[in-house]
Amino acid sequence: MGDRLSVGLSCPSCGGAISVSEGESSVNCRYCGSTLYIEGDNGVSTVAFKNRLDRNAAINALRVWWKKGLKARDLKTTGNITEVYPIYLPFWSIETRVAGWVCGYEEKHTTDSKGNTRTEKVYKEEMVLMDLPFSEIACDPGDLGIRSLRNFQGEASFEDLDLIPTFESTTSRDDAIEHAKADAVAKGRRSADVPNITFESLHVLVRKLSMIYYPVWVARYTYQDRMYIATVDGVTGQMLSGRAPGDALYQSLAVTAGTSIGGLAAAGGIMAAITFQSEIGIAGVILGLIVLGATYWFFRHGSEIIQGDFPDRKSMPGMKKGQDLGSYFKEMSR
Amino acid sequence: MKVTQVKCPKCELPLYMEQQDEFFYCSHCGTIHTREMQRVERIPYEIADFRDSTPADNRIYVPFWRLLTDFRIKSQDVRGGFFGKMGQALKGGDRGGALYIFVPAAHLETPAFRYWSVNLTINNPRYGTRNDFGGTKRMPAATNREEAIELADFVAVTLEAEKPGTLQYLDYSLTVNEAKVVYLPFVSSPSGLHLAL
Repeated sequence: MGDRLSVGLSCPSCGGAISVSEGESSVNCRYCGSTLYIEGDNGVSTVAFKNRLDRNAAINALRVWWKKGLKARDLKTTGNITEVYPIYLPFWSIETRVAGWVCGYEEKHTTDSKGNTRTEKVYKEEMVLMDLPFSEIACDPGDLGIRSLRNFQGEASFEDLDLIPTFESTTSRDDAIEHAKADAVAKGRRSADVPNITFESLHVLVRKLSMIYYPVWVARYTYQDRMYIATVDGVTGQMLSGRAPGDALYQSLAVTAGTSIGGLAAAGGIMAAITFQSEIGIAGVILGLIVLGATYWFFRHGSEIIQGDFPDRKSMPGMKKGQDLGSYFKEMSR
Repeated sequence: MKVTQVKCPKCELPLYMEQQDEFFYCSHCGTIHTREMQRVERIPYEIADFRDSTPADNRIYVPFWRLLTDFRIKSQDVRGGFFGKMGQALKGGDRGGALYIFVPAAHLETPAFRYWSVNLTINNPRYGTRNDFGGTKRMPAATNREEAIELADFVAVTLEAEKPGTLQYLDYSLTVNEAKVVYLPFVSSPSGLHLAL
């Protein structure tokens, strides 16, 4: 974010081109020295990061990703990339400082040798004072699996904005600020780690607010007649999100092993509970259920391996009816 | 985005500042103002003088909001800290009153922010004032009046929390009666900022 950005603006005093950094509201003209005030649209400064990938680099990133994890072993040979293209997605980028106190207590349970349990209150007063980055996609992400920025560093440039399809922001600045503040309060409260809160006073200040247009490569590919979608970070070259077919052999082995171990542990636990000590038995049943639960959790998406922010498919709060990436991609695929 | 040349709201001369700063300082008439969208606000301020023995190198002025507040504690619950509470009881309790709260207007890292806001609020600095910065560097400001008032609330609660005992509940009111910026003299060193009063 330290990169200075020429935004096609000129000094009203001398006409010289001026450059600013993301989120800056004032700058001194390097030619005539005039102090200038930069007023973003609706108080928001805007920046675009330069796309550093070409089509081949995006395809390479996808192919490398195919080889990782428990994806279908023949994906790298039979996966067929049908289209790869870049887009610019808008993100709200908000820096906040949260300051305050969280007070309360923690209950500690101790059991003595006679089996008597005692509950002790440990009183806590915890200061919260931290700076937090927050980002949130500023349009409907559809099924892309992208909701926030992972990278805030990039070369600032508006050069590619005319060449690459760009999605306009459809969410409001005030909603984004509200989400950033709620996020900061939640993180501040969590960092205080006070289980039973009796007093809380947390203040959130917005340090910086900007809109970042971020380049993302979208790749569509097919595997055994099924269509999949994945996205690659246009700045870092890392995979952002994607869906891929899982490997049937790995999965059946893992499911078999998981259910067997879980079932045996649970059954053994029940046996132990009946015949020996009840605690060991109950522990066995719990362990068995945990293994079964973990097996279910891991394979709950069936044969798909998923990376990215997919779990919550609901519309984001405050989202206006507007440009929807989901419908855009459906149109693109027709 | 729109670019405008910054002019002093008092003498209307254009500003040519050497640094980027949210407090726009007119070197001609000495007015400081802030801007937020179309809103221009003059900021009352004073400049504290350096201690005579301060070395000339690495001098810097750090802006603080000095808020004259009325901090009233309606009720509180503190656990532990027997001696502290006994001391309070002997003095007839500490229910608050007029309090000068210092909030850094510059963007200090969180440990420095806490240290200076609490210490300057507990031990209000005494200083002589001067009319200009005398060529000394200023740390850019990044906190406006509204933000400073929010942070004053944090500083006030910090004063209570840092007393002996563990704070469990605090019902209070905080009214800000006056807000002024004070440029305090510091010497910057690799170990941090040192007050030069």
